[in-house]
Amino acid sequence: MSILIKIAWRNIWRNPRRSWVLITALAVAVFSFLGSVAYIDGFSIQMIDSAINLQGGHIQVSGRGYHKNPTIRTYVPDVARVERIIAENDAIRYALQTTTPGMINSAEQASGVVITGVDPVREVEVSSVAESIIEGSYLAPEGEANEVVIGATLAEQLNVLLGEKVVLMANDLDNEVSAGAYRIVGLYRTNSSDFDKTNVYLHLNQARNLIGYTAEQASTVTLRLDPGLDPVETAIHLQTTLDAADLEILTWHERSPLLVMMNEMMNLANIFLVIILFTAIAFTLINSFIMVIFERIREIGIMSANGVRPGQVRLMLYLEAVFIVLLGTAVGGAIAVALITWWSAVGLDLSAFAEGLSSFGAASVLYPYIHWGHILNGFVMIFVLVLLAVLYPAVKASRFETVDAINHV
Amino acid sequence: MSDHSIESRSASLATDGPKPIDGQAPLVEATRLVKIYQDKEHVPVTALNEVDFRAAPGEFTAIAGPSGSGKTTLLNLIGGLDKPTSGSVVVAGQDLAAMSRNQLATFRLNNLGFIFQAYNLIPVLTAEENAEFNLLLQGVPAHERHEQVVREFEDLGIDKELIHRRPAKLSGGQQQRVAIARALVSRPKLILADEPTANLDSKTGARLLDKMRNLNERTGITFLFSTHDPMVMERARRLVILRDGQIAEDDVRG
Repeated sequence: MSILIKIAWRNIWRNPRRSWVLITALAVAVFSFLGSVAYIDGFSIQMIDSAINLQGGHIQVSGRGYHKNPTIRTYVPDVARVERIIAENDAIRYALQTTTPGMINSAEQASGVVITGVDPVREVEVSSVAESIIEGSYLAPEGEANEVVIGATLAEQLNVLLGEKVVLMANDLDNEVSAGAYRIVGLYRTNSSDFDKTNVYLHLNQARNLIGYTAEQASTVTLRLDPGLDPVETAIHLQTTLDAADLEILTWHERSPLLVMMNEMMNLANIFLVIILFTAIAFTLINSFIMVIFERIREIGIMSANGVRPGQVRLMLYLEAVFIVLLGTAVGGAIAVALITWWSAVGLDLSAFAEGLSSFGAASVLYPYIHWGHILNGFVMIFVLVLLAVLYPAVKASRFETVDAINHV
Repeated sequence: MSDHSIESRSASLATDGPKPIDGQAPLVEATRLVKIYQDKEHVPVTALNEVDFRAAPGEFTAIAGPSGSGKTTLLNLIGGLDKPTSGSVVVAGQDLAAMSRNQLATFRLNNLGFIFQAYNLIPVLTAEENAEFNLLLQGVPAHERHEQVVREFEDLGIDKELIHRRPAKLSGGQQQRVAIARALVSRPKLILADEPTANLDSKTGARLLDKMRNLNERTGITFLFSTHDPMVMERARRLVILRDGQIAEDDVRG
């Protein structure tokens, strides 16, 4: 084995130009693959983060049927009991919300919005809206004043400024129109312009007053899990401990099937990318290795005459291919990891496409992300493709008739 | 080995079945060997025609004859490098026709050594690595390999300074010495040498032949040469002449 490794390694450098062409092609392919995977993973993570941060956390507890038909009549009953059970797990942060569709009116404009009542103290632990305030401040903890936080985009649309008043209107539990005037205390801007245009925030108490909820009622309880906790397992556990038939406990995967599908499609795109890139490389390898074996027919014959078995001839060629792939992946991988690490720190400015990205919930500055699992899968696929590519030349070389090979000129 | 007349030797070759040669079991026993090639126009060409050939252990035999007489073909068949069209080849008691490619490779590794006209060293290996190639395949430990190769190089008069050189940096004579060392180092039962002196000047050729004959006498390794070279024929203790694919003469000398 050691002699085959030695021969394979030295064979690579017999024709350094050809080997470097192959290594460079592989390095470019690996770099492109890693770059695009990191870009797609970064994009995917930002979209998922956006969904988790702005639209219900990792897990959302609501009244049964709320997800399909989110009305104020479907609420979490006995919310204090739900809070108590959730609070038993230190790795879970939670906050209550009331949510209702409504209208926001300025002196000049009106717009349909989702009015969400939040506990400002707890909400900051489950949502990033407070962090997204670009002007003014978040809601005061007490909730005594009529305060509202709206998106900067909505403010532009309504032509209102920070400190000005808007009127919020919604139907209450008795189906009566309820309205109130609220002063804009903060303007926020998230990655999603659509979200900013349609979501306004009041203090939970103010919102309860608006729609006629008691202190025992809430539309949703949003849960944010610490990194070690799996959302699906936690949701199953909560289902058992809460033991309430009238509750719905959904993970972000269940609430956002479109996002999950997009994520899966992007992963699939990664796989196709690998296949396309490396099939091209595989054909280059096949071509090179066919040249290699035809240049070395005589040598292979001599080795065979001296007792090298056909399987060892195949192994030797495989080793050559593996060395080339390792070199190509090392060069391409090192450059890619260095660049991606830098990009993931400073971000990739895609402000030219900001409008489109914003509609997906992604920021105009994208932070590529190295997902080692995806990269490992890619490398496994590269190796499988390369081994398949070298199969034909290797088998051909191992089937040379020894006497013909020795006499080959 | 005692003297035999060509006639009596030929008569003994013509008889059927394995026969001891001077009381010894034959190392090589080729029976009714036929090899037919197809040339470029697909016309059949008979390289060997019903050849019976036996060689005892320890022989130093030259197979000579004009070009196209079938001497290299006979060597290739004995070495398991080629398959006969018909007939059988038994070497060291093993029927080569019954072996798979893997078994043949292993058999060659453990029993045969080859010396070729064009040296045929592996260009990416140094002289030492080429010489120890078979030992490496046999899994002999490094220190033993090194000792054996050094001893062989000393025997063959290969300068120590050359052991780390690759074949391209060696002269023809040096390369052939390394090739002989490779063939000898694992102490095979049989060494098949195809025109080993053809690319060497006569002085170098003679020196190497003397070395080989000396090794044959010391170690009892059997040597079969295919050759045109009178120097080889002079030194051989048995001279087999092939003509038109058949043994025309078989002369055993003292």
